[in-house]
Formats: sequence, structure tokens, C-alpha cells
Amino acid sequence: MTESKKRMDRREFVLAAGLVGAGTAVGVAAIVKDRLKTEPIDPTGEGTVRNLSVLKNIKPQEHEDFLVRMQRELVAAMAKPVEKRHWIMVIDIRKCIGCFACTIGCVAENKLPPGVVYRPVTTQEIGEFPNIQIRFVPRPCMHCNTPSCVAVCPVKATWKRPDGVVVIDYDKCIGCRYCLNACPYGARTSDFGRYYSSDAAEGARTGKDRPVEGRTLPWQHEPNNEYAKNWDRKDHSSPVGNARKCHFCLHRLEVGQLPMCVTTCIGRATYFGDENDPNSLVVELKTKNNVQTLIPHWGNQPQCFYIV
Amino acid sequence: MTAHVSAKSGFGWDTGAAASWSVILWLLWIALLAAGLYGVALRFTYGHQLAGYGSYVPWGLWIGLYFLAIGMSGGAFVLGAVGYILDLPGFGKRSELRLAIVLSVAALIPAFIGVALDLGHTWRLFSILTSPTFTSMMAFNAWMYNIFLVVAAVCWLLSFARDSLWLKPLLVLGAFMSVLFPSQSGVFFEAVRTNDFWHSPILSVLFLASAIALGGAGLLLVRALIGPERGGEEVEAETARSLNLLRIVVIVAIVVYEVFEFAEYSIAFWSPGAHSPNVVFLLFGDYWPVFWLLHILLGVIVPLVLLLTASKGLWALGAFLAVVGFAAARMTVLVPGQIAGQIPGLQAAFQDVRLAYHYSPTAMEYLVGCFMVAVGTALLYVGIKLNRLLAQRAGLSV
Repeated sequence: MTESKKRMDRREFVLAAGLVGAGTAVGVAAIVKDRLKTEPIDPTGEGTVRNLSVLKNIKPQEHEDFLVRMQRELVAAMAKPVEKRHWIMVIDIRKCIGCFACTIGCVAENKLPPGVVYRPVTTQEIGEFPNIQIRFVPRPCMHCNTPSCVAVCPVKATWKRPDGVVVIDYDKCIGCRYCLNACPYGARTSDFGRYYSSDAAEGARTGKDRPVEGRTLPWQHEPNNEYAKNWDRKDHSSPVGNARKCHFCLHRLEVGQLPMCVTTCIGRATYFGDENDPNSLVVELKTKNNVQTLIPHWGNQPQCFYIV
Repeated sequence: MTAHVSAKSGFGWDTGAAASWSVILWLLWIALLAAGLYGVALRFTYGHQLAGYGSYVPWGLWIGLYFLAIGMSGGAFVLGAVGYILDLPGFGKRSELRLAIVLSVAALIPAFIGVALDLGHTWRLFSILTSPTFTSMMAFNAWMYNIFLVVAAVCWLLSFARDSLWLKPLLVLGAFMSVLFPSQSGVFFEAVRTNDFWHSPILSVLFLASAIALGGAGLLLVRALIGPERGGEEVEAETARSLNLLRIVVIVAIVVYEVFEFAEYSIAFWSPGAHSPNVVFLLFGDYWPVFWLLHILLGVIVPLVLLLTASKGLWALGAFLAVVGFAAARMTVLVPGQIAGQIPGLQAAFQDVRLAYHYSPTAMEYLVGCFMVAVGTALLYVGIKLNRLLAQRAGLSV
């Protein structure tokens, strides 16, 4: 058979233009639609109010511990609908002594496996002997107001809640790790499914040298309670394979408890509270003139503030 | 693998030499597949635990190969479609168009495999299609690839019809998408606005130029392997003209890539900025062998020299090396963009092998890479066979 060698005729050209035009229009419409502000994914309104009895029977006292004051403010904030709260964290790095209690507390609270960390504390050495200083900078998730991690997620598995907390839906996350690369703070880590005993020696199988719990160490298979759910990592289930990050211990907030890193801070260097409460401790601290945020030039508007 | 051995190919091989090559290529493919299957078995047995990437360098070899294959897919289709519509020498026949489409699809499918195996939850891959967010370039690209696959498949089917009003319009649409999605591979990185090394609009141009080079090199290589159609001197002359055209396309695309790459990296030294550490790491740090030896020497200089000779056999070798070089080029974009954290002391703050600004592909990653190549070549082989079979049934030239 001989093939037609003629180039496109008018009908073909019109069809081609129509297909390309329609394709472009559909593409642009899809992008614009998803760029427009949508209704929050989370429930809002009166259904989100929590009337907690925590500290109800203990009268406020003058000069009471910051932790008690923050917990009282937390209970008051929880009595408002979720959209009326805005959680922020303030860290006084002048007080941080680098004890890593917050890091360990967070690991224990969220049962973090090896390689997953929500709140590392960096050690920065400034100057040279004898003019030298060591500075410790804890780095939780910044819960940015314009988070760069959210927009890159291809499946709506991460978003900013009405109370300002950036969360991840472990059941939706596909584990593409795009958000890990998008976060300038390195605040997201991936759960690669390792256990603390993964590289451990087998040990003796019998006799007095046999490890008491065996190599499996049952405690590391206990489910965690992030996002007030029961996450069992058995059989590579979520959160194995997911991106993970600090969520301001939402599951603790729901029952009137401060985030673990705040309660374990022995130097009272970490503060947490509702920015929408003008009388809260965090607002008081945040408005000081020696407050900074980390790498602010990216425009993420981090909601974790450092007193320096 | 050779789909067809002619008495004497456009590269001057006689039947005996071609048969020897055929055996060698079959053995190579079997070795690739066996190694690849072992890698995939390891991946499913141990999850990601044997991989070299981590949380601070989240993407590795498979993502590099993914973007390489995407480039080849787009480049092959756009060259085949534009060449067919404009009736360029060596492109004007349906059989030549079908070859380009088959190469394009055969490159795209392994890319999907690579990215699927890279996911933390491989079986949730389809969520990108069922619940996408088009604020993410990843979702936009995924949809684009799938629509493109449908368009390419329809074009391929229509190419067997004696006369179709829709073939050329769909080819235009496919070519439009084939220009977009390799460019969008650049945007995929550019969209990370918090990464100085990646957040550069020049990446789109680099990825598009490399796609054209990869498509041209891929077509040149495939034509080298399958030989020209049987026919007289006229057919051989047309084959020679088409190979020459592909050679020029590859040369120009490589040169364009290098010009823009030079512009991108040299600026870091004229005015050192935040991304200079990444550039220094790439050019003079741990990654210098990948950049200078694999990308520049093996992937640019040697292929350009080979493509500038008069030997068609050396053109094929040059095309092959250009593909290898662009694989390295992908890694020179991917890895340096991830090795410099922005929070001082973060790597030392919490010790773990997954929390390091360092990346070297592991054996398991290379083995899975072999699987991707083996699947791609198998698809290409099956596609070429199908092309011939269906064309013969339809009474068309093969």
C-alpha cells in the first residue's frame, strides 16, 4: 500500500488546534480549581469544643509554674471551636541546655522507630576559643502558615488544620517523600520500617545468655497514638512507609495535656499555647523584640518562635 | 535483542555479525532480567531497608532513572510525530512513526515501575489518579503521563488504518504533551521553592533539551539494532538520511544542554550564593566523578566525537553513551540538590544512617535499575514485533 504523503489539511489542523486548546483549558482549570481556597478538611464549629476538667479544682496562684499556667491556657483554648485556636510554640534558646529530654520524650511518646525524629536539638558552636559559645536549637515542625510541604503533596495527604497544626493522614500518604524535600527545616522524616533490634545480634537461643525478650523486643511493636488513632506498624502498615513529623502532640491536646516536649523540658525553655488568646504566655513571649524565626526569607511564616 | 536482522544493515553489518550481536544482546538481556528480578525480590522482602536513600536525601537512583526514561519517552514521541507530520526523511512512513511510538511507551512504563517501587506505599500509587491535588507537579505529571499513554496508544492503533482523519491531530496533541512533560520534569524540581539549587527556571530547558537528545539517541540506537527495511538503494539512502538527521538532532540537543548547564553552574561562581555549596559538591566535591567523568566525558565529549565521525556504527555507540551520560546528568541534578541541609548541625543532632546528607546507590537499587532496563527493552522488542505483525495483517509496509 502506498502511504499518503500530504501534510495536514485544514480539517486536521482545526482538529489538532481544538485538541491542544481543550487539553490546555482542562489543565489550567484543574490547577486553578485546586489553587483556590477550599473548605477545611477537618470538622469545625461547636462539635470541636472540648470542655475538659483538667485543673478545674485547682485555683490559679500567683507565680505558679509556667507549665501549670500553659496547661490552664490550653484547657481554655480547647473550650473554643478549633478554628478559634491557633497553636504556636516559643523556644527560649538562652535557657536550653542541650539535655535532649524533649527529643527523647517525643520519641517515647510517639514510639518513634530508628531514623524518625520529630524534635532533634542541634548544637551550634559559635566563635573560637576563648570567645566561644555553644548554642542549642531544638527544631520541631514549624507548622508554617504557608507550608511548602503541603502544596507539593500529590494526594492531599497533608494539610494545615484550622488551629494551625500541619498534619499528615497516614492512611492517604503514598510515601513519595516530595514533602521531605520541600521542607527547608528538614522537619519531616520517612519511616523506613526499621526497628531498634533490626541490626541486633540474634543472641543465644537457650540458656542463661538468652535475651529475656528475644530479638524481637515486643515493646517496639506497640502501636502509637498519633492523631488520636491506634497505629500498628505490624506487616509494614502505616505509618511505615509514610512521611512523619511533629504534630504538636494533637492527641495530648485533645485531653488537656501539653505536648510532650514542653512537659519534659527541664529548663522551662519550651512554651506552647494559643496565639489567639491575648493573655497567653506565648503571646507575651512572642511579642518580645528578641524573637526570631528560622530562615524566614523563604516566606513560610513558621509558627515556632525562638527567643535569642 | 534484535527484532529483525537484515542482510546488510545501514550500519554495514553483514548477516553473520548481526547474528552474533543478536546472541550477545539476548544474553545481556537475560542477565539484566535475572539481576533485576532478584533486586525486585529484595525490594519486596526487605522494603526500603536495603536502599541508600534516607530522610535527608529522600530520592535516589530510581528517581534519576525515572526522569531519564520520561525524557526518552517524550523525546522519541515528539521526534517521531513531528517528523511524520512534516514528512522528514526517515520519518514520513507509518512504520517509522510506529517505531517512535513504541520506543516512547517502552521508555515510559519502566519509569512508572521505578517510581512505584520508590514509594513507601507502592499500592497507593493509584491514589494519584483517584484523589490528586493539582497544586503538586507530581500529580499533574502523573495525569499527563496517563493521558499521553492513551493518546500514544490511539495514535499507534490509527497508524494501522488505511486512512484516518484523527491520526495527525492526535499526533499534534501527543507531541504537545511530549514537549510538556519532560519540561515539567524540570518544574518538578523548580517547584521546590525552598531549594536554591533546584529553584531555577533553567531546569525546564535542560530537561527538554535532554529529552530531545535522549529521544534522538534512542531512535538512532533502535534503528541500529533492527536495521533498515528491506529494499533497494533508495530505501538504504533514505535510511542513511534519517540516521544523519537523528545524529544532527542529538548533537544539537547535547550542545544546547551544555550551553544552558554552563550558564546555570557558572553563575554560582560569578556571584556565590546560597546554592554554591551544592555546585562545589557537584563539580569539585564527592560528586566530581559523576559530573566530569560520567556526564561530561562519557556522556558529552565522547558521544560528540563519535557522532561527528562518518561511521554509522560509531554513531550507535555515541547514542548509547549519550543515554548513559544523561543518566549521570539526571543524578547531577537530583543528588546535589539534596546534600546540603539548611539547618546547621541537623545531621549531627540525631544519629541514624537515614539522617545523613549523603547518598550512594546500593546494590539493591542498581539491581532494580537493571529490572527497569530489562522491562523497557522487552517492551520495545514486543512492540517492534507487534508493529510488523499487525502491519503485515493490514497489508501495510513493515
